[in-house]
Amino acid sequence: MPPPPGDGRAAAGGTASGPAARVGGSFRDPAGFVFTRGGVLYRQVNARGAADYDLLHSSGLYDTLVGDGLLVAVEEVDVEPAAADPHRILRPERVPFISYPYEWCPGQLRDAALLTLRVQTLAMDAGMSLRDASAFNVQFLRGRPVLIDTLSFEALVEGRPWVAYRQFCQHFLAPLALASAVDVRLLGLLRTHLDGIPLDLAAALLPARTKLTPGLALHLHSHARSQQRHADAGREAAGRGAADLAGSGRFSTKAFRGLVESLRTAVTKQTWEPSPSAWRDYYAAKQSYTDAALAAKEELVGKLLADLSPRTVWDLGANTGRFSRLAAAAGATVVSLELDPSAVEVSWQQVRERSETSVLPLVADLANPSPALGWACAERDSLTARGPADAVLALALVHHLAIAGNVPLPDVARWFSQLCHALVVEWVPKDDPMVGRLLASREDIFDDYTAAAFEAALCEHFDIERREPVPGSSRVLYLLRRR
Amino acid sequence: MRKVGSYVTWVVWLTVCLSLLVVPAANAYIDPGSGSLIFQVVVGAAMAASLGVRVFWKRIIGFFRRNH
Repeated sequence: MPPPPGDGRAAAGGTASGPAARVGGSFRDPAGFVFTRGGVLYRQVNARGAADYDLLHSSGLYDTLVGDGLLVAVEEVDVEPAAADPHRILRPERVPFISYPYEWCPGQLRDAALLTLRVQTLAMDAGMSLRDASAFNVQFLRGRPVLIDTLSFEALVEGRPWVAYRQFCQHFLAPLALASAVDVRLLGLLRTHLDGIPLDLAAALLPARTKLTPGLALHLHSHARSQQRHADAGREAAGRGAADLAGSGRFSTKAFRGLVESLRTAVTKQTWEPSPSAWRDYYAAKQSYTDAALAAKEELVGKLLADLSPRTVWDLGANTGRFSRLAAAAGATVVSLELDPSAVEVSWQQVRERSETSVLPLVADLANPSPALGWACAERDSLTARGPADAVLALALVHHLAIAGNVPLPDVARWFSQLCHALVVEWVPKDDPMVGRLLASREDIFDDYTAAAFEAALCEHFDIERREPVPGSSRVLYLLRRR
Repeated sequence: MRKVGSYVTWVVWLTVCLSLLVVPAANAYIDPGSGSLIFQVVVGAAMAASLGVRVFWKRIIGFFRRNH
């Protein structure tokens, strides 16, 4: 397979000199920043962040965290800095696919929250503390959440409250509580609120009964009231140093540890059970395939994947990730994208229970994929910008885009061509029961929804390598390579 | 009575504000939010106590587990 161009996330080599490009989301912290050069990712530690970075190592915290797989490993390298005042240049281990909190199921957000609190506890044991608690600092590597920001640590200041407390509540506890107590779809608020869900908004959306649960009463409801009460009154004091709040022993280390433990309990209690939705039961109910047909389709997809031997696969409309795991078994690192959070949650539980290392399930509405977001539309990449993948699997998907979403087939084909070098796509004709279901309650305005029109649309961008009927159905599987 | 209550609130608030002014510099780059900082100071004692209770409780559980 050709190496994926673009951001070169998977690149192992590269040149140590040449033009450096600062990563879009890395500009807030004066202690350092992330940049790429020659396809390699680096982190520059500025002189301003030197003391804390050195303490991270000398305290033994770095070794502890990396040893436990909680912090991404870095290598100090001797390459040209990308800006003035460098202290060190680091080369972090590369995360194969950068995902964002608004793409996670509740279980993933919860695991990221618990990771953050575990890191904070270990940091305190080593005389350090997290300077931030952004969910964007957590990524999934080999099936486990990991902190990617080496510069998130500072020396613990005795008596000072946690500077990242507000951020932790906004990024983790508020969305988890909303998903648990109201509706999982409220996790979508993380897409509009990149610094987490404002606590007054969370408090307004949460049902009154959550005022009686100690964790949420304290960390969301009372916390939100305190923010509102001091929004103006605190400004004067804040201007004179609240950001560096300490005070001799006013917030004891015991209180700090109690706060972290209390947050951990509150997070643990925000449970969410995936619903037995139609999507999740898709295979169990065997609505569109007989057992033998499903087995035949698996075998066929397995063969096509073996032909491709892709390093990276995006499985679009992955459901609980049955075919994603087929791709993982063929040696690929797989991003398993699915609309239904229940299916993603089930898939994530499987990743955890079986310690799977190559499948990353994510929530994605493919008719409205993640856009570029944040400052200058450059802080968070769109889904498309995070590709292309070596191969895309689009099984039982096209009818959803074309009929449920009214997307014309040429547009579907064009979008696929932006996402991958090779495509395994399933054609689901109109006489298929699943298409019948989509058309049951609406007028059939899809005169162009034919196999011939689909092939013509694909051929604008791809060469058809194989065309295989799916046994036991009227569906067809295509293997295509982008021209 | 209400006047006394508001006076007490004012004194507590002033004390907390003053505590904000005598703090060493750190390397914070995000806004911790003054309401969030003050809130932690206010609930700090309860947090410390709850940690104490948790530790105590764990010891009791541990004691009985050991004996069984």
